[in-house]
Amino acid sequence: MNPLMQHDQQLLARIGLAQIKARERARQGRQFRLALRFMAPALLLVTALLLLPVLYNIWLSFTQWQLFEGRDDFAGWQNYRQLWSSPYFDEALGNTALWVLASVLFPLTAGLGLALLFRQMPGQEWFKSIIFLPRILAPTAVGVMWYYVYAPQGMLNQVLGQFSSMPVETGWLFEEQLVTPAIILTFVWQSCGLVMVLLLLGLAALPRDPLEAARMDGARPWQVFRHITLPLLAPTLLMVVILSVLAGFTVFDLLWVMGANYPQQRTLSLAVFMYFEAFQKNNWAFAAATAVVIGGVVLAVTWLQTLLQARVDRMVR
Amino acid sequence: MTPCALLRITLLTCCLHSTAVLAKEVQLFNDKGFWSAPLQTVANAARAEGISLKISPYANAEQYKTFIQASVASGRTPELFTWWTGASLNTLTATGQLAPLGALWKEMEADGRFQPGVKDLFSVGGQPYAIPLQLSRWVVLYDKRVFARLGLKPPANWAELQTVATRIKAAGQTPFLATTQDGWRGFIWFQELLLRTDPKAYVGLNNGSVAYDSPAVRNVFKIWSDMYAKGWFSDPRSNEEINDFVRGKGVMYLFGEWAVGLLGKAGFPLQELGVFILPNAPGVQQPAIIVEGAPIVVSRKGLANPDVMKTLRFWVSNQGAQTWGKASGNYIGNNKIAAPNAIVSQVNTQLAQTRHTMFLRWWENVPSALQGEMVAEFNRFMLKPDMNTAQNVMQRMQSLNTAYWSSRKKS
Repeated sequence: MNPLMQHDQQLLARIGLAQIKARERARQGRQFRLALRFMAPALLLVTALLLLPVLYNIWLSFTQWQLFEGRDDFAGWQNYRQLWSSPYFDEALGNTALWVLASVLFPLTAGLGLALLFRQMPGQEWFKSIIFLPRILAPTAVGVMWYYVYAPQGMLNQVLGQFSSMPVETGWLFEEQLVTPAIILTFVWQSCGLVMVLLLLGLAALPRDPLEAARMDGARPWQVFRHITLPLLAPTLLMVVILSVLAGFTVFDLLWVMGANYPQQRTLSLAVFMYFEAFQKNNWAFAAATAVVIGGVVLAVTWLQTLLQARVDRMVR
Repeated sequence: MTPCALLRITLLTCCLHSTAVLAKEVQLFNDKGFWSAPLQTVANAARAEGISLKISPYANAEQYKTFIQASVASGRTPELFTWWTGASLNTLTATGQLAPLGALWKEMEADGRFQPGVKDLFSVGGQPYAIPLQLSRWVVLYDKRVFARLGLKPPANWAELQTVATRIKAAGQTPFLATTQDGWRGFIWFQELLLRTDPKAYVGLNNGSVAYDSPAVRNVFKIWSDMYAKGWFSDPRSNEEINDFVRGKGVMYLFGEWAVGLLGKAGFPLQELGVFILPNAPGVQQPAIIVEGAPIVVSRKGLANPDVMKTLRFWVSNQGAQTWGKASGNYIGNNKIAAPNAIVSQVNTQLAQTRHTMFLRWWENVPSALQGEMVAEFNRFMLKPDMNTAQNVMQRMQSLNTAYWSSRKKS
């Protein structure tokens, strides 16, 4: 074939390819428009109920908006600067960090222990139901109930009094050193049931071959758990950690109810701080800035965990 | 005509008649779910007068405040709703959405139903903006049986108050009941001691001209701390204050008159309940009393609605106030009707004998932006009532106070 003909053929092929690509693009466009039509109601709802309020909140955080006074002057970074210099914000940030740590560590440990215990235990259904039961209660109701358990004349002191010659009248929620552990205990009591159920599902889904092979090779139960079960369970564990971190960041009800309604230094979390500024002090723009910060931190943590999740998935595969 | 048909026609006629006579429904929005039953009793009584009143309670104060704030912001303020006096009322009237009720108060005062001083509690800048849902005086309730057993009389002065407390303590009982229950009670003894020792400072504290670490406030903490050191107060951590009084954990109980009904419900024999007004400290002459006035307010739109105004007039009428008093045990300040209980009656008699100046509670007077953090500080002192804590509490309160008032000046 002479070079001219060869060139013509190449040109024709290229034109054909371009036509095919153009047709493909047109087909994809039609599909996208069709999909968009199906998705439109959901997209409208998400935009109206999620996106717009979030954007509006971000806008508010840059204003001096006062609900009653109707002031909405642009304030730039003023609310964020004020937030940064507020001693309460420091306390709230520190307490929230502690909460996140506690709400991951303790329910995870307790839930994993219970899941391993109940995995093959006879009559486990009853125990599982009992441990899961607190999860279906509203956190506010749980807070009120435990408020009375921890009262100086409450059930906990009465039980402890049975082992002591003197009446026990500790005010668990009034002592600076005791209030946080007391509320964390309540949180663990309520949340470890769900963690246990999730981990039981994770354990049930594990492949049997590696476990049986390890046992046949003479591995001890701890070695099987440490080197086989735990790595295989990692994706479930990571999901539980993500859920726990989010729960820890947004904890409000328990702290509000058990912290005697007004922020005590030890029970001031970011969510309580935000609520207090908005609804008690009418500092709506300032509270909006707090919400943006909480949202930012949660997004960052979730993004990091998503990266970690992808890595763990690759390792397990 | 059969009796059955006659009954049907009668019922139909009644229905048509009531539909024709009854006014358009008026909603009373409130955060007083615990008073829903007595409020409904008033609504039932109002129905006979051709008023259709619907009670619309919100579960808690926070939700309720948010609802009202959002309504005001959107320009759709409810026609009739309950609110708070003092700083909260000032803020709401500043929006221009509330209706002044000067004409109604003129009617109420003209026939001697309400004393002129009562109006001031519901006024902003000399203009009344509300009528009373209740008017509760803060007094000392006491157990007459213990007083009789120890041969004590209600104290008439500061020295007698000390003697009474000392004798009760010596007899092995706790003189005063005071807790941090529900998080808001911390200010009660503080406000009373400040008013009794320095009424001018009490006023100045609430408008930012007197500091929270001034000598007057320091003196209050000193007296309060000494009283704690003498063992005169009950356990501040208790969350069963009313029941504690019934159980005898404190012989005297400084609280609003509205607690009388709660004490009766908790099983305290009300005929054994006595009352006195806490006496002034030496050097303070003018008799004074702290008053909690819960207001019902009307929006500008509500003022133009004859049904709303008819409902308000019924509320403050002798019949309305009597029905509300009987059902709830609450007093609204109407002099023309019998007091809802013996305690209110005794306080009325005492106030009629001596001209007491009425002061709003600290809670209503303090700017709402400061309420929560300040009361948390008072609670902190009650849990560790020494002067070291007091010093820290005073400093923290003053820094909050300074920040608030300086931000007001800037804006």
